[in-house]
Amino acid sequence: MGEQAVYVATLSQSLVARDVDVHVVTFQDGGDGAIHELEGIKVSRITNPIETHVNILTWDLALMTEFERLSSDILYSAKGDIDLIDAHEWTCVSAALLLKRAFNLPFLYTIHSLEEHRSNFAQDPLNIAIHNLEHLGVVEADRILVKSPWMKSQIRRIHGDFTTKIDVVSADSPRWIGEVLKTYEKTKRT
Amino acid sequence: MKKQSEPNLSCVPERFKVLMLSWEFPPRVIGGIAAHVHDLSIAMNKLGIDVTVVTCDFPGAKSYEDVDGVHVHRVDSYKFPTPNFASWVFMMNLNMQRYAIELVAEEVRRGQVILIHCHDWLVANAAISLKHIFRMPLLATIHSTEYGRRGGIHSDYQRLIHQAEAWLTKEAWRVICCSNYMASQVNTIFNLPRTKIDIIPNAVNATNFAPVPPSHLRTRFAEDDEKLVLYVGRLVYEKGVSVLIDSVSRVLQRVNAKFVIVGDGYMKDRLIDQAQRLGISHKVCFTGFLNDQDVKGLYRVADVCVVPSLYEPFGIVALEAMASQTPVVASGVGGLSEIIEHDETGVSVYPSDPESLARGILRLLEDDGYSSRLRRNGFLKVVNRYDWERVAGETGDVCNRVFTEYEKASWKPWKV
Repeated sequence: MGEQAVYVATLSQSLVARDVDVHVVTFQDGGDGAIHELEGIKVSRITNPIETHVNILTWDLALMTEFERLSSDILYSAKGDIDLIDAHEWTCVSAALLLKRAFNLPFLYTIHSLEEHRSNFAQDPLNIAIHNLEHLGVVEADRILVKSPWMKSQIRRIHGDFTTKIDVVSADSPRWIGEVLKTYEKTKRT
Repeated sequence: MKKQSEPNLSCVPERFKVLMLSWEFPPRVIGGIAAHVHDLSIAMNKLGIDVTVVTCDFPGAKSYEDVDGVHVHRVDSYKFPTPNFASWVFMMNLNMQRYAIELVAEEVRRGQVILIHCHDWLVANAAISLKHIFRMPLLATIHSTEYGRRGGIHSDYQRLIHQAEAWLTKEAWRVICCSNYMASQVNTIFNLPRTKIDIIPNAVNATNFAPVPPSHLRTRFAEDDEKLVLYVGRLVYEKGVSVLIDSVSRVLQRVNAKFVIVGDGYMKDRLIDQAQRLGISHKVCFTGFLNDQDVKGLYRVADVCVVPSLYEPFGIVALEAMASQTPVVASGVGGLSEIIEHDETGVSVYPSDPESLARGILRLLEDDGYSSRLRRNGFLKVVNRYDWERVAGETGDVCNRVFTEYEKASWKPWKV
């Protein structure tokens, strides 16, 4: 749908190449949640438990309950041997923060874009709700990863001063995956 | 590698605890769930079951309080604007999850088993999430269905709610319905096996309806020479109030009466127009929302209480009237047809039929002996069958069954 899919795929491949065990939980219409191994990455695709929705908010929050179910099963299977959650965008914030609280897991929030920019500063109730979820993620995350200093400044302007827990890691940098791993280490230490 | 905290469930606790999730709890009263959860939780607590309720906040209400032994936590219900009610429900659920997760985590760390008891789809997201994250059993009470409330599913918005209800029944270990009618509907529309459903009726505390109201209460609503015909409930389509308005002139042809309509709802203006069009507005009093004391008083002074519903999963108003020793005329739909035994504990009439309704009302207004017998029988039925202690015991039995099955299952928080 957007560049997030490519980013997460590249990130997962690069992490596996560095001997990091990666499990991706993602959406697919009709997905049964079974674990498939793709080039060393464990991928579980899951469908929405409610088929009909009236907006992206209800769609997302119902889907996140399934993410929580599947992620909990993965955690129980791994007997707790999971180091952190890397949640991409506001759509995954609710699941990430609940898993963090329940399992005492470090939570990294990777922000690709912000609702204010996507909606061109719209203030409709839907935009406000998405903004609030985004804000919840910014507040609850142990660390935040963004791709540019500009995004870091925008988070500060929109969500407040959380700069001490924000790492800027450019996806174009030759040291990119090493920098991501450094952020992972910092997230685990928090 | 850092390990997460691992709850130890090697020793199964002797007693489980119940965590009830409900979007309303007094003083926040929107529909019938608030009173149900309030009375049920207190009655279960009296039977020795530890009950905690997590619900939405309300202006002036404490964020935590002990209500007759029940731990009540009120969480931020999400006050920002949302595109529609369903969106608000999902955002409210997230707040409920965030709060409840801390409560459950603490209990699970102590090795306690928490039975999550979810009331309706309005808290389904939070309940299902807690179930899976902590691997705790989930019990659901379905108070009504979107299909029943709307007379079918006619829009995507209704389909969303319908599918959320279906999801909840699928995820629940067992499902409680308040009547055979509801059990049958849940079985049919959600394809839920009947063997997964328990039927436990609602209840009323009859002593709450016993006090005699002040003498001036009746004169606020009716003249001395007028019989008082009472309706209590929301002014919405499925309650059938327009059928009652259509029956008024038929009753007035033989008996001088005042029809007192207590409650509010989106149909209020339409019903007022209907009464004006029929030229009976001087005989119909729309009181709007009344306080609890006035409603209970009106039950006591009314000559007849009418429940003209087109859809009714249970029919708590009929029970409240019976507890007040007021004779009831009710349409023979849903749970009402299980409460009202025609000519014994009330008068059952055809739904959507003003003629039948008028006949039922007149039968009671014109025959004091018949009316007295029904008052007495109705009251005895409430005391003997629809008592909170009995209903709490039956609910406790379902909880025990779930707990016993859960103990035997391998599905647990951490493999120990």
